[in-house]
Amino acid sequence: MKKKKYWYKIDNAGKIFPAISKNERSNVFRLSFYLHETVDHNILELAVNKLLPRFEAFAVQMKSGLFWNYLAENHRHFKVEPEPARLCLYFKSFRNHGYLFKVYYRDNKVTLETFHAITDGNGALTFLKSIVYLYFRLRGQKIDHEGKILSEKPYSKREGEDTFVTHYDKSKRKNLREELAYHFTGEHFAHHWLLMVKIRLDSKAFIQLVKTKYQATVTQFIVALAAYSMVQESVDFVGNKKPLKMFVPVNLRPYFDAVTLRNFTLFIKATFSSEKKDWTFLEMLESTKADFARHLDKEKLHERISSNVGFEKNILVRILPLFLKNIAFRIGYNILGESISTSSLSNLGVIDLPSDFKDKVMDMDFVNGGYGIAITACSIFDHTNIIWTSSLKDLSIINHFVSFLVREGLDVTLDTNYREGYDEIL
Amino acid sequence: MRSCNNCKVTYDTPLKHCIFCESELSINELDRSTYKFTPFQKRGSWVFFYRLFLFLNLLSAGIALYVDYTSGASLSWSLVVAISNLYAVVLCTILYVPTVWTSKVTKGMVVSIMAALFIGLAIRDHRWALDFVFPLGVMANTLLLSILLLANRSRWFDHAVSLFGICLFGLIPGVLNFFGSIGTHWPSIACFVYAIATLLGMVVLSTKESREEFKRRFHF
Repeated sequence: MKKKKYWYKIDNAGKIFPAISKNERSNVFRLSFYLHETVDHNILELAVNKLLPRFEAFAVQMKSGLFWNYLAENHRHFKVEPEPARLCLYFKSFRNHGYLFKVYYRDNKVTLETFHAITDGNGALTFLKSIVYLYFRLRGQKIDHEGKILSEKPYSKREGEDTFVTHYDKSKRKNLREELAYHFTGEHFAHHWLLMVKIRLDSKAFIQLVKTKYQATVTQFIVALAAYSMVQESVDFVGNKKPLKMFVPVNLRPYFDAVTLRNFTLFIKATFSSEKKDWTFLEMLESTKADFARHLDKEKLHERISSNVGFEKNILVRILPLFLKNIAFRIGYNILGESISTSSLSNLGVIDLPSDFKDKVMDMDFVNGGYGIAITACSIFDHTNIIWTSSLKDLSIINHFVSFLVREGLDVTLDTNYREGYDEIL
Repeated sequence: MRSCNNCKVTYDTPLKHCIFCESELSINELDRSTYKFTPFQKRGSWVFFYRLFLFLNLLSAGIALYVDYTSGASLSWSLVVAISNLYAVVLCTILYVPTVWTSKVTKGMVVSIMAALFIGLAIRDHRWALDFVFPLGVMANTLLLSILLLANRSRWFDHAVSLFGICLFGLIPGVLNFFGSIGTHWPSIACFVYAIATLLGMVVLSTKESREEFKRRFHF
């Protein structure tokens, strides 16, 4: 049944985003599917509007309470828009009929850009898969969903669950401390433009290399290689005193048997000391494996969830009016937020699509609009996309990363949103 | 496909030069690569003009205060200039920040009343502002929001929050009257009574829906 009235408290991970987001730091991420046909935007809009009542976690608008922001029902018509030139652009929900996500179209591409306060990569992917599935259905195409499309399954209340709060355990709270991390400096692109470089690899060859030669997981390999490239190409890293820290969001759903569409990820990190002068790739990979083994433990993840939720349950935090909380969040984030990580890697893993999608969908993008340098990865059909986004003009780190893959014998195909002539305007 | 023989990579985008080594790409006969993004076009930004506006107002206020101060007498006309400059900046910011227009009108009204009050204090004659502008301005705003709330029920809570806020603000003239700070009594008493009546109306006429909305807004 279609509900008229519902509301959610913003989840623990999303609480800070409304306060700290701006043009330079949008906290918006992008997922795109490239179809084998030109997108009909009228049908796309119809598909999104038909789906919204099923996806309560997305059919919301943000409202301000006295103490906290919250997400209230939104029944207004959703409008799809032509894709803008800038990736992961910060947007005011007020100018988007209150919605906290955007759906764009361009030629054969359908793009979903989502504000992180409502969901994470997995939640957004579930929604986008349903949009594209319904789009094909409305175009008159028959597709077997094979149980992989959420909109074809009955609604479960657990989809809207604040799983952080559900798994909060007061006794497991720990005092978490985070040291500052090394940061890149350099000239940024003008107009908040983000460079995207997509590295396309054959999944079979790539996994063969990662598993056989390096006995690692894809995430460990990319983290280690990205960090190695950063160390090699950053002249001021050694002796900087601050370590290089790669943050990796972990999808907690499998660990805690959750099906929520809202945020349910937690960062783990791989840390590389700047006191060591002669890091080799293999040493960095071993260090990454050790860090992952240490952090990817359910008990430790549970402790961190409890510590994070414990902060929002603190009576002093709770009684602070929202406008003061926003000021405190902004100050806290400016002092600590970006300073504690050098870069991040978000890996969506293998994208599980119905087999009928194979001759309808060509490719996909997953873009993280983080400030500085951010990396994402996903595998679709027979290839793996590693996407670098950077607000910095210096490409030497990405070049180092690509050269390593080429030297390992992989066929590398690149795509980018850069065009000749952009140097003059950006 | 296009390829860089130097970097040993292929490109699936119509670039002529490699983004890493800048050497010319060799183009395969079967190349069908297309640019898959919307081309960027440089556009003017309002941010510069807003900053310029802010700077000019601050400059104007600073110069006025300095000239008035160096004349030797106590500050008078320069305070009116400075308050007007500040008022212009705050009002433009309120209008620029995207939100429901009822909220903009309410905030604009509050800021305008405060500006009138401060100008009155600056020229050492605040009676007109405190006795008439303040209560009558609040009453006009309360009336406007009440009509909107009754007329546009689909967005009722967007108006209700503003109405609640302006009613609380409208209690101030009555309180000042109680402490004997008001010269002409009837506008402030009328404003106070009207604000109380509106607040009571919001409570008495509240529905289950509005109580739920209250719970949301005050969730702790």
